[in-house]
Parts: sequence; C-alpha cells; structure tokens
Amino acid sequence: MTNSFSVAVAVARKDLTAEWRTRELVPALAQFVVLALVIANFGFQIDAHNAPSIAPGVLWFALVFAGLVAFGRAFAAEREQASLEAMLMTPASPVAIFAGKALAAALLLVVCEAVLLPALALFFGTPISAPIVAAVLLATIGMAALGCLFAAMVARMRSRELLLPLLTLPLWIPFIVAGGHAVQVAMGASGSYDQALALLLDFDILFVVLTSLAARFVLDE
Amino acid sequence: MNKYEKAALAAVGLMVLAAGAIFFYAPTDALQHEPQRIFYLHVSSAIAAYGCFAVVLIGGVIYLRNESLAADRFAHAGALVGVIFTTVTLVMGMLWAKPIWGNFWAWDARLTSTLVLWIIYAGYLLVRRLAEPGRQAARFAAVVGIFGFIDVPVVHFSVTWWRTQHPGPIVVRDALPPEMLATFLFTMACTIVLAAVMIAIRYRIETLSDGQVAEVAARASTVTPRGPEPTR
Repeated sequence: MTNSFSVAVAVARKDLTAEWRTRELVPALAQFVVLALVIANFGFQIDAHNAPSIAPGVLWFALVFAGLVAFGRAFAAEREQASLEAMLMTPASPVAIFAGKALAAALLLVVCEAVLLPALALFFGTPISAPIVAAVLLATIGMAALGCLFAAMVARMRSRELLLPLLTLPLWIPFIVAGGHAVQVAMGASGSYDQALALLLDFDILFVVLTSLAARFVLDE
Repeated sequence: MNKYEKAALAAVGLMVLAAGAIFFYAPTDALQHEPQRIFYLHVSSAIAAYGCFAVVLIGGVIYLRNESLAADRFAHAGALVGVIFTTVTLVMGMLWAKPIWGNFWAWDARLTSTLVLWIIYAGYLLVRRLAEPGRQAARFAAVVGIFGFIDVPVVHFSVTWWRTQHPGPIVVRDALPPEMLATFLFTMACTIVLAAVMIAIRYRIETLSDGQVAEVAARASTVTPRGPEPTR
C-alpha cells in the first residue's frame, strides 16, 4: 500500500517536474481559458445584469474543454517516447502509475482553474468564494480520474484527438450537472448548495473507485 | 432458407402482428387520442435497448475476466442493436412529445439519460472501429461498455434531482385498461424477440468475418513465411 502510494507520488512528481522544465501546457491552457472568456463575452452580449446567470455556464464550458486538452496531453509525452511501456515493465502496479498520472493532470488543471476563476471574476464581475472553489475542485477529482482513463485508452488508438471528447464528455455530465448547479447557487440562484456538493462527492467516490478497477485493463493493453 | 433467415422472417411477422394489435385492437386514449399509440413501441424498444446494453455489460465483464471471444462478439452485437433501438425510442418519443408537450424535446431526466445512452454506445462502436482489431478493441470496448452502463443511471439520478416532466411508469402502477396492457405486453414480447434475433444474426456475422480474417492471415503466412528477425 505504502509502496503503491510512493509510486503514484513519484510518477506525479516526474510529470510535474517535466511540465515545470518545459512550461508548455499550463501557459497554453491559461491562455486558452482567457480566450474562451473573451469569446463568451462577445457571444452572449454580457452586461452586469445577466452576468451571474451566464457566468456559471461559461465557467464549465471553459473548464471542460481545458480539461480535455490537459488530459489528452497527459499521455502524449509517454506515447512519443514509448516510456509508458518501460514504466509498466517495472514491478510497480499499473493502478499506482495511473493514479500518479491522474494526480499530476488534476494538479495542472487546478493551476489552470487558478487562472480561470480570477479571470471570470475580473471580466464577468462574479464573486470568487469558497463555495465556488470547493465545487470546482471536487468536480476536478472525478473528471481527472475519468479523463485520464480515457486519455490512456485513446493514446494507443488512431484518431485519438477525435475520440477523447466523445468518450469523456458523456461521462462528465453528472459532474457538470451537480457542479453547474452548485456554482449557480453560489452565484445567487435558488437551490440547495449542500445537496449539490454532496452529490459531487458521491460521484467522485464512485468514479475514482471504478477507474482504479478499470485502469489495469486499459494500461496493460 | 437457413435458420437465421427463418428467425428473421418470424420476427418481422411478429412485429406486423404487434402493429395490428396497436392499431386495431387497442382502444383510443381519451385524452391523448391517436398519438398515445406511439407508447407501445416507444416503451418496448426502450426496454429492448436496455436489454441489449445489459448484454454489452455482461459480455464486457466476462471478456475482461477470461478473454472469451464469444462474450466479446455478443457485446459488440448487443451494442449495435441497442443503438438502433435507442434511436427508435428517441425518435418515437419526440414524435409523441410534439403533439402532447408542444415540443420535440425537453431536458428531462429520462430524455437526457437516453440521449447520453445513445452517445455513449455510439462512442463504443467508434472505439471498436478505431482500436486495433482483436484484444485491444475488445478490452477498450468492454471498459467503455461497463462505464456507459453505470453512467446512465447516474445521469438519470442527477437530473431527476434537478427537474423532471416525463410521464411516470404507468404500466407498473396498474393504470392501463386490460386491452392496452395486453397490446403493450404483446408488443414488448415481439420487440424483445426482434432484438434477440438481430443480436443472433449480428453474432453470426462477427463469427464469420473473424473466421475470414483468420483465413486470410493464415494464407498470407503460408505465402511469405516469417524468417528470423534481422539482427542489428
């Protein structure tokens, strides 16, 4: 158990170090989410009056597409250098390697959220509050687990850029329904915030358990 | 005429009988009038689709446990037939919703989860096409099939908690007059037979095409025998 845990941490640290040295993904993602906000602003004719009702949708749109890019890249370097096979040849469990990859990708997405939320507050005049941050972070956990599982899958297939959104987005819908509701309530809509957050937590537990069961079959292939 | 053709003919005959029962035996609904007749095939094909996806789930789980080729072929066949029946369910539901609700679509729990169901299994079929044929395609597809089956109730639940307007399950609540109930049960039985026959035929096609691939591979290997690997 401790061994798997240290393997996961080592894999995550390796990915984060590689990202820190190249600084490729995070600046690109940050630029991407700011661009998404610019496009949303002109697409919706946003003013101070309607911003709180539109902003949650814009937030989830930007987050979902940034997530797709981030998780798609998680296995790109491994594929280009065929290093995943090398990692799988070590006695480390495939589930621990997968957990490390997912952890690193989730942390990169969190960094991107640290740009998205302040930018949203700046451009749309919505608040940044603890409830909003909590909902986004909870959704990130489950989305990272599912996103990395299917990223690992499509990395070995043709037309991978095409397939990743098709497989991942339908499975992310529960997180978007619950997370979207939580953020809407936190920005002033009526509804139950606690229930939405509890639902997010349930989905996190369900999908983290399921992906860790399935990871062996996807990575071993 | 082989046994598959006979079975297909019988299934089509049963569906024609069901159509007869729907249009000539079942009484006209007092409130919804003629559009209510859509209900019989709509609900039946939804149930048949769930059955097909259960085949995908069970086939996938068995394949992941022991790599049984038969289980994988059944899962593939189930997904294909299930997507067809889901399409029928969605289209018939929209045709019913237009006169009754006034709109083709509403973002209700059942509609949303059925649409997600369709998208997930369409993705499943794409995975089968794009993955390397053989073990990889079978494994990846099994994982997608299992996640899809679990995701649909989750989507349903998360939207129900939010909002819903789809009519509840009237059949189990004993609200149908006996002629309607008889028509419904008959249509459902015929639709399930049709789905089973379609899966059986598709399974046969998978088996034959796998056999052909193996034959071609065998012939290719006899023409150009593989020599020793070149040494570097």
